[in-house]
Amino acid sequence: MGVLRDMLTALKGGANEVGEAIVDANAIRILEQEIRDAENAIGSAKQSLTRMKASEIRLKRDMATLATDAADYEKKALAALNAGEEALAAEVAERIAELETDRGEKATEQAALDAEIHKIHAMIKSREKIIAKNKRELDKVRTVQELQKATASVSKNFAATGSTEHRVSKALERVKAKQEGWQDRMQAGEWMEGQEAGDDIDAKLRAKGIGGATGGAGDVLARLKAKQAAA
Amino acid sequence: MTLDDLAFHLNEHAGAEGTTFDAVVTENDILEVVCSNNDEFPIHITRTETQLLSVTPLFSIAEVQPGKVDELNATFLRLSPAVPLSSIGLQGQTYILFGAMALSTRFDVIAHEIEVQAENTIEVLEAVEHLLA
Repeated sequence: MGVLRDMLTALKGGANEVGEAIVDANAIRILEQEIRDAENAIGSAKQSLTRMKASEIRLKRDMATLATDAADYEKKALAALNAGEEALAAEVAERIAELETDRGEKATEQAALDAEIHKIHAMIKSREKIIAKNKRELDKVRTVQELQKATASVSKNFAATGSTEHRVSKALERVKAKQEGWQDRMQAGEWMEGQEAGDDIDAKLRAKGIGGATGGAGDVLARLKAKQAAA
Repeated sequence: MTLDDLAFHLNEHAGAEGTTFDAVVTENDILEVVCSNNDEFPIHITRTETQLLSVTPLFSIAEVQPGKVDELNATFLRLSPAVPLSSIGLQGQTYILFGAMALSTRFDVIAHEIEVQAENTIEVLEAVEHLLA
């Protein structure tokens, strides 16, 4: 199988242009068709397996009935012998022989059928393993295809010619600037919350009558009066 | 979850750190997500039958300083284990940061992964910025 190895070979061989299919779409369709065919084949094999198993069960049941019948006739033949009915016993013995022949034939048929069933069962198991493996391979191919599709749509904008110098650096700068802006807003938000929660240290100090606060118009007037007195 | 569903939920969602998302499904069936924590490098989300792939195209080989590609590749290999949720790779001529999630991943986990990828993009680019033209 080695789909990955094939893909790498294709890549090294030059099938690496953006938009160019690494894996031939036809090859994928063929692989998909093979999987479907194999699944259908397994489906029919399972149906005939069921029919064969049913025949085998019927044969086993017939064999058991024949064995019971033969045992029953044996008892009757012995009874006939004990009663001195030699001729009757001989007739019963013939019947027993027929039953045993019949049973023998069915046993041969059953053994052959059983062998066939085992063979088909093993084949189904092995085909199922192959299908599972093919599916995994197909998924790898699809993954590469999808990755290629997802990459191609943007890569067209990339500088194949180097015309957009420092494109990545500029983009990174913009992202970082936005992140910083976002962090600043977060901090501002926290500060605001703090303010609203009465977390401002100045407010706390003022509340205790410590520092900072001006005394308002009263203080100013007192100061002016003091200046006037000194003059 | 389809890409349209994912777009709808992302547009309604806000991450744990207040990250918001602008998600649009493009014509090519790609979900383009711009995270508010990094709106310069959009994340492109696409899906296969089993997984969601999130891809951030970083820059092209042409944007690497002449003669510095080997050093850049070695730096990326060393960086990779430091950002275990995102892988670094080369797709065609473009370096990408990408992650993969199972389709069964819960929405809040997807949103978190996208947010982390957007952050990782900045960190990875900062680490190799000096090697770019």
